[in-house]
Amino acid sequence: MEETLLKIKEVRKHFGGVYAVNGVSLNIKGGGIWGLVGPNGSGKTTLFNTILGLHRPDEGAIYFNGKRINNLAPHQIYTLGLVNAFQIPRLFHKLSILDNMLLAARGHQGDRLLNSLFLRKNWQEQEVELADKAMKILESLELDHLALSPAGELSGGQRKLLEVGRGLMASPTLLLLDEPAAGVNPNLGKKIFEGINDLSRDGLSFFIIEHRLEILFDFAHWVYVMDKGKIVVEGKPEEVLEDPTFYQVYLGE
Amino acid sequence: MDPLVYVLDLVVFIGIFGIVSLSLNLEFGFAGLANFGKVAFFLVGAYTYAILSQMGVPFYLCLIAGALTSAITGFLVSLPTLRLRMDYLAIVVLTFGEILRLIIKSEAWIAGGAWGIAVPRAISVAGASARVDVLVNIGLVYFCLFICFMVVQRLSNSPYGRVLRAIREDEVAAEALGKNKAKYRAQTLALGSAMAGVAGGLFAQYIQFIDPYMFMPMLTFTVWIMVILGGPANNWGALLGAALVQIFDKGALIAKDYLTLPIDPTDLQYILFGVLMILVLLYRPGGLLKESQVKTKAMERIRCGRNAVKNKGSP
Ligand SMILES: Nc1ncnc2c1ncn2[C@@H]1O[C@H](COP(=O)(O)OP(=O)(O)O)[C@@H](O)[C@H]1O
Ligand SMILES: [Mg+2]
Repeated sequence: MEETLLKIKEVRKHFGGVYAVNGVSLNIKGGGIWGLVGPNGSGKTTLFNTILGLHRPDEGAIYFNGKRINNLAPHQIYTLGLVNAFQIPRLFHKLSILDNMLLAARGHQGDRLLNSLFLRKNWQEQEVELADKAMKILESLELDHLALSPAGELSGGQRKLLEVGRGLMASPTLLLLDEPAAGVNPNLGKKIFEGINDLSRDGLSFFIIEHRLEILFDFAHWVYVMDKGKIVVEGKPEEVLEDPTFYQVYLGE
Repeated sequence: MDPLVYVLDLVVFIGIFGIVSLSLNLEFGFAGLANFGKVAFFLVGAYTYAILSQMGVPFYLCLIAGALTSAITGFLVSLPTLRLRMDYLAIVVLTFGEILRLIIKSEAWIAGGAWGIAVPRAISVAGASARVDVLVNIGLVYFCLFICFMVVQRLSNSPYGRVLRAIREDEVAAEALGKNKAKYRAQTLALGSAMAGVAGGLFAQYIQFIDPYMFMPMLTFTVWIMVILGGPANNWGALLGAALVQIFDKGALIAKDYLTLPIDPTDLQYILFGVLMILVLLYRPGGLLKESQVKTKAMERIRCGRNAVKNKGSP
């Protein structure tokens, strides 16, 4: 089996008196599509935000590629190749869609002050390549014709697509997607998942929250089921579908 | 006074405040930093220039030293606030400017205290007329303005400027995309303060005498009006705003000398300012000039390709 990419040990995170994440442990190995499902409010988004350093866990430890990351800032975690697309898109509205994409590139030399001021040679060619890459991703998301429009002009579904596109632009090792196809038209949603499937065969790993189980279960090779801040079931999709706890979580109350 | 010298004097002030306006535009327009203590960094540059030039240091070194001390001050003062919400920065720098001014005012040993300090001209031409003297100053000021403009314009059209705008738009998203917001903010404030410091030095040597009353918080707000009027995140806008505000400012002084109005021209100026600001905020909330786009080689290439396709599509 491949090496563990993301290891989460007994992580807890509470808001006020409520534990949104209440002792989660899991191991994600390199390659493939890993799913996370659970009813609304079960703590999925909070778990993602904690992994990304946007929340500090109250307890527990998180390792990425063997390195402890739960004391790192979000920008450092991103640099390591652990990248995310938010459930509610957080775009830079006044900037063009292409600018939004270029901002997501990892290791853009022009992001440094001295390079931008004096050493344009150090990044201009790189940026031309990055822009080509960005246009290819935008094409696959059917956003390329809007590349130069401000992101604020996009519709809800298109914003979601751009959010996913930015994640892909980073060429991450592990990409966390929080409901990537929510609000996107169903045909395109299916295309996104097929694209994800292709990328995962090329070695990119995905950890995906999705509330439409039938879609996720078609693609994921391992599924975690979360309820009330805890992982209650995990396994291959077909195993999870046979687990009585799984039905209790969704139909119980 | 020679009317032409009035106009030339106005041109000098437009240049000096053009630099300050560009620096606030870098900080606020691009990076979203609420620097409500701009005058503090202008003051640091002016006093650094004054003290050093009295010691016989050549003017260009005085200007560079003013830029450096101001940059370091800007960096240190903002340091505790870089990770916090932007209102903390606003409060800290606003208070810092006023405290610094009061210290200089009460400590006569620093630079003459409330009495102020005389500053020699950077370049004095022996036996020159007032016109020539002002023209030499225009040369010096616009040389510095040109350099500052090139710097901010280059940053605005580079990946760095793109990152600053991203941090302004959504700092959490920018961090989640790997941008270290504290680093970018510290660099921006250091650079913006350096520019304000140069402007302070130019100001001190031009008027040849400075005292703490010239650095009241009102000056900060005047610069804010320049940026908001001209259009944040547009460097030409920052210059346009500086020019308009200075014309207003000096216009009121001229009116005072030449006209008899039923009210004090200074008050009239404030009233007109207020009306102008309200009109701008109502009808052009983004300022007179729109936010500029990031123009890099890669962006232009995509833009050109786009236009080529468009032209082919509609013969
Ligand atoms: N920033 C926050 N402050 C307070 N409570 C929060 C915050 N974020 C999430 N919660 C709470 O934590 C619980 C889990 O939310 P969330 O992680 O968004 O669930 P899911 O993504 O599974 O729908 C919910 O009860 C929610 O109200
Ligand atoms: Mg959620």
